[in-house]
Amino acid sequence: MTASTPRIAVAPDRPFITLLRYNRPYWKAYGIGACLAVLFILFSLLTPVIIGRIVAGFEKNTMTYALVMGYFFTLMGLSIVEGVVRYFQRRLMIGASRHFEYDLRNDLFRHVERLSQRFFHKNRTGDIMARATSDINYVREFMGPGVMGTADMVRVPFTLGYMIYLSGKLTLFSLVPLPLISVLVYACVWYMNRQSKVVQELFSLVTSRAQENLAGARVVKAYGIADRESRDFRKDSENYMRANIKLVAFMSFAFPLIGMIVGAVLLMVIWQGGNMVIRREIDLATLSQFLIALIMLAWPLAQFGWVLTLYQRGAVSMKRIMSILCEAPDIRDDTRTDPNAAVTAGAISFRGVSFKYDEVLVLNEVSFDVEAGETVAIVGPTGCGKTTIVSLLTREYEPTTGEVFVDGRPLTQIPLARLRGALGYVPQDTFIFSDTIRANVTLGRPHASEEEIWHACEVAQLAETLRQMPQGLDTLLGERGINLSGGQKQRLALARALLRDPVVLILDDAFSSVDTHTEERILHRLHEVMKRRTNILISHRISSVAHAHLILVVEEGRIIERGTHEELLRLDGLYAEMFRRQQLETALEDVA
Amino acid sequence: MSEGYHFEDELQRKSYDAQIMRRLLRYVRPYRGWFIAATLLLILVALTSNLTPLLMMWSVDHYINNPTRLGADAAGAASQAILDMQGLFQMILIIALLVIVEGIVRYLQMLVVAFVGQKTMLEMRMELFDHLQRMSLRFLDRNPVGRLMSRVTTDIEKIQQSIVTGVVEVISDLLTIGIVLVFMFAVNWRLAFVALSPVPFVFITSYIFRKYAHHSFLEIRRKVARLSAFMQETITGMRIVQIFGREQDHANRFDALNADHRDEWLTQIRNFALYFPVVEFFSASSTCLIILYCAWNILDLGQAVSGVASIGTFFGYVFWAERLFGPIRALADRYNLLLEAMASSERVFQLLDTPEDIMDKPSALNPGTLEGNVEFNNVWFAYEPEQWVLKNVSFRIAPGERVAIVGHTGAGKSTIINLLSRFYDVRQGAILVDGVDVRDYQQVALRRHVGIVLQDVFLFSGTIEQNIRLGDTEMSEAHVRACAEYVNAAKFIEKLPRQYQYEVGERGGNLSTGQRQLLAFARTLAHRPQILVLDEATSSIDTETEALIQDAIEKLMEGRTSIVIAHRLSTVQHADRIMVLHHGELRESGTHQELLAHGGLYRTLYELQYKGQDRHHARVANM
Ligand SMILES: Nc1ncnc2c1ncn2[C@@H]1O[C@H](COP(=O)(O)OP(=O)(O)OP(=O)(O)O)[C@@H](O)[C@H]1O
Ligand SMILES: Nc1ncnc2c1ncn2[C@@H]1O[C@H](COP(=O)(O)OP(=O)(O)OP(=O)(O)O)[C@@H](O)[C@H]1O
Ligand SMILES: [Mg+2]
Ligand SMILES: [Mg+2]
Repeated sequence: MTASTPRIAVAPDRPFITLLRYNRPYWKAYGIGACLAVLFILFSLLTPVIIGRIVAGFEKNTMTYALVMGYFFTLMGLSIVEGVVRYFQRRLMIGASRHFEYDLRNDLFRHVERLSQRFFHKNRTGDIMARATSDINYVREFMGPGVMGTADMVRVPFTLGYMIYLSGKLTLFSLVPLPLISVLVYACVWYMNRQSKVVQELFSLVTSRAQENLAGARVVKAYGIADRESRDFRKDSENYMRANIKLVAFMSFAFPLIGMIVGAVLLMVIWQGGNMVIRREIDLATLSQFLIALIMLAWPLAQFGWVLTLYQRGAVSMKRIMSILCEAPDIRDDTRTDPNAAVTAGAISFRGVSFKYDEVLVLNEVSFDVEAGETVAIVGPTGCGKTTIVSLLTREYEPTTGEVFVDGRPLTQIPLARLRGALGYVPQDTFIFSDTIRANVTLGRPHASEEEIWHACEVAQLAETLRQMPQGLDTLLGERGINLSGGQKQRLALARALLRDPVVLILDDAFSSVDTHTEERILHRLHEVMKRRTNILISHRISSVAHAHLILVVEEGRIIERGTHEELLRLDGLYAEMFRRQQLETALEDVA
Repeated sequence: MSEGYHFEDELQRKSYDAQIMRRLLRYVRPYRGWFIAATLLLILVALTSNLTPLLMMWSVDHYINNPTRLGADAAGAASQAILDMQGLFQMILIIALLVIVEGIVRYLQMLVVAFVGQKTMLEMRMELFDHLQRMSLRFLDRNPVGRLMSRVTTDIEKIQQSIVTGVVEVISDLLTIGIVLVFMFAVNWRLAFVALSPVPFVFITSYIFRKYAHHSFLEIRRKVARLSAFMQETITGMRIVQIFGREQDHANRFDALNADHRDEWLTQIRNFALYFPVVEFFSASSTCLIILYCAWNILDLGQAVSGVASIGTFFGYVFWAERLFGPIRALADRYNLLLEAMASSERVFQLLDTPEDIMDKPSALNPGTLEGNVEFNNVWFAYEPEQWVLKNVSFRIAPGERVAIVGHTGAGKSTIINLLSRFYDVRQGAILVDGVDVRDYQQVALRRHVGIVLQDVFLFSGTIEQNIRLGDTEMSEAHVRACAEYVNAAKFIEKLPRQYQYEVGERGGNLSTGQRQLLAFARTLAHRPQILVLDEATSSIDTETEALIQDAIEKLMEGRTSIVIAHRLSTVQHADRIMVLHHGELRESGTHQELLAHGGLYRTLYELQYKGQDRHHARVANM
């Protein structure tokens, strides 16, 4: 299977069909495996036959040394053949299940990558991870050991036939309780699965608590809440332990019980069979063959219950996996997409755009136009919807109503990769991968030349910092860039966006953690860069946006004022007020 | 990075280690009595279950295949048959009784083992968790969360499954083997030798197998860890992955990791596919040898003579051989599990043995209140050896003073507050709070009085209220709301559905960046610190809200010390004193006016920010 495998059509609500489709490439392995299972039982049934012969030989005094040797070597030969069959069966069937697991996991990963931010806000990382790890494993267990166990069920009719052939009466004796074992195993495992689910849920509580505690270690320490955290963790761990003990207590009860029932059946047969031998209804040879066959039958029957639960668990997990696979990527290339569309100039317009994350209207009838090569600034109070406007342009979300255009085309017409490829976005929250600085900077352009990398770093004023680091660009960063200062992280994100040489540059509060001096130097260098493209600036500082060709003042999701700096001042609204306040501060400082 | 980052687990190939085992057993010590009880029960099980073949043997030789009956005439046989049937029935009853006893004993024993195992692991997990709580940030910086998580979860699980249960089962297996051997040799030692002859081969096979399987298991573990770490990081950074169009690249990298994982499993499947049939073959050959020996003997003697070799003996031995090979096979598997658990224990112990580099002194102070006097005396600090971040920093802040720290990015501002709240210890010099070295306070006490709004906001998934409270149940609802009011967060919270009960999502993802910062601010105020430290606490907040917050803080922090780090000079203007940090050195200190007059770094900064506006303005207008 290569990276270009087409996605398998997922049949919603039909986990079994989907499973079959996924396993189609491996049908040969499963088919041959099943044939081997038949072969295996045929060989295995020869063992009781031969042992019967030997016992009969003694009973009837027809045994010779040559015969004994013959039987001995036949039995040894049989067990070798059985082993070889088993070897191939296991490699084929279990191996196929691992291939299937690989396909499914790859598909899941690729699919998740295509889902929009909406999905990631709805589902916790841990939950998605659980799908890709334990759930996939449960499904695989069904396809591997489960299917192999099912194939082994072919033993039942063969063995039963043989038993009936040996003695109908004894078969009846043993058959009465035998199905009971299956039912019992099924019931036990059903309960165990239910309780396991409880255990699993409590465990994921323990896990997520520990996870958040470690990820938020700074906060936990700063507020001295370690004791409280520890108490909560103990409470969760104890709940988990109690549920676990309940489960294990049940298993401690169920397993010996099943053992006892199997023992009882055997005893029953020995007793009744013994009586029959004494009454000369059958001979000892038949009884021994029967006993061996019975043991051979008890195993797959007990296994049957286990296989059923594998199936049950696998189906539940498959459904959980499919709930993600069936999640249609709401933002993707579709029939509206024009493969030739490209972003060349970078003119942007929003037409009557409204947007909701869930219930609340976050953007309300937002409309504006930016010519190619112009700079637009968005200002407004905290939480007014600035970032949201940008995330509609990057198509992380789709407008609830209205439409966004780039170069006169609706966003839906432009292939997603091409649209995003034309954007250089410095998000408000910096995310850094635990990799080298180089890998982080070249994220958007992996094959950038050394020269280009350094140029981007120079513009972002990162170069000097890098030169001071012993390993420079190859410095390894901790999780989320833990070993960089706030401003260093932000400049890294800036360099990363600049390296893409974007048509549209988006700076979402990109200097919030950078000092004025550095900001000034960045702006100085950025000036050249910005000249050639369309720019979107979001800032709380009037000084950084005053020069924009168009300033949008947003409040509660509405554009309440728009125009150039001068126009807005003349308008004497919110913007002018913001400006005066910031002016006043400056003035105050001057006076002070 | 001299001390290195631990992104991955090293491949550990450990053999049985008595020291680790002893340490593990220490956890079981409180439950010693239970443990001994379980072992006694085990002996009982081993004994009773091995009596069964003996009784079977007896049933066959004396009742089912009774030579007397077979040799007798028709009439004698008939009356003997009735006796034999009665004898058989009694035998069956005895065996049934044994089976029941065995079941009950097994139940009790499993119960005890499970109970002890779970209890032990709870304690171990808590010890590990508490230990991690005490570890310094220096340690946490270097150990990715995922790695530590796998200690707290997978490793502990593995130890629980294989050590406590494993040890008891190994004892049980050894007992069973021992008792079976005694029975076999007692009944017919020659036959015992014959039956046991394939056993050495089983051990050799297991030994070889173990070498390969164990290696594969470790590899698999490592590959699973890599796979999940990569996936985890991709999911958390999915926004960046998508915006920067890295989907295909990440998918390819994932594919490679995934294929690696699959291939290692395929190797392991081959190992198992080979191992099982081979061991199966040896145990089958034991049965064959028993048959051969019995048959040979019977032929030699011309008839079945009880005591040397009889059909009954034959049956008994076949059963015993089964009982013998079961545990032998299991032992090999359990040994593997035990080895894996050893590796897990070693990792857990390594973690537990990592000393807490920041510890409370035995006589550490826990003052009820603080004055708020802060003093840095010739403080030197470096995260990495020799890469000094703070160089000989000294300053003093009087109680109630409002001090601002400014400086270029990476100058070491955040580092100063990291040291003040003792997230890290100074390399040289000392930090005094109220004249006492911070190392002489209890960490919790110190941090209770020092409230920090961190530069990187972290919100827990949960409601807004939970994030302000942080588990403090005594905090009144009114206080929570009041603090939200102070920072002007109440305005947006009240517009949210469910208001204070609004779920903020992972890391507060359902809020805007500024809103998250406001919450972090409210949270700090809610805990009423004596010294307030703001690290870029308003960097993402609009100026109007910032002004409102400043007024509120002025009232709230009346008479308390505050330290403000900010890049926006408008934010620091209210400070009583401004300190300028440059490349880890304290270069200037004084009021706004003094610093301007001084004409140093601060003046440059100031001019850039305010006077520079016009220049900037003019330049952009030309664009
Ligand atoms: N946990 C860490 N491990 C290693 N190095 C670190 C760590 N935290 C910070 N550094 C380094 O220490 C130096 C000072 O960082 P610090 O966070 O104190 O800067 P800062 O003045 O707060 O900068 P900013 O204004 O950008 O937040 C930086 O060069 C940074 O790379
Ligand atoms: N993922 C989300 N789910 C639900 N609501 C959200 C989500 N992201 C943002 N919001 C809400 O939408 C509104 C606008 O958020 P947005 O991030 O656009 O604000 P902003 O103007 O960028 O603010 P800031 O200045 O703080 O960055 C806020 O009220 C916020 O609570
Ligand atoms: Mg925003
Ligand atoms: Mg900082």
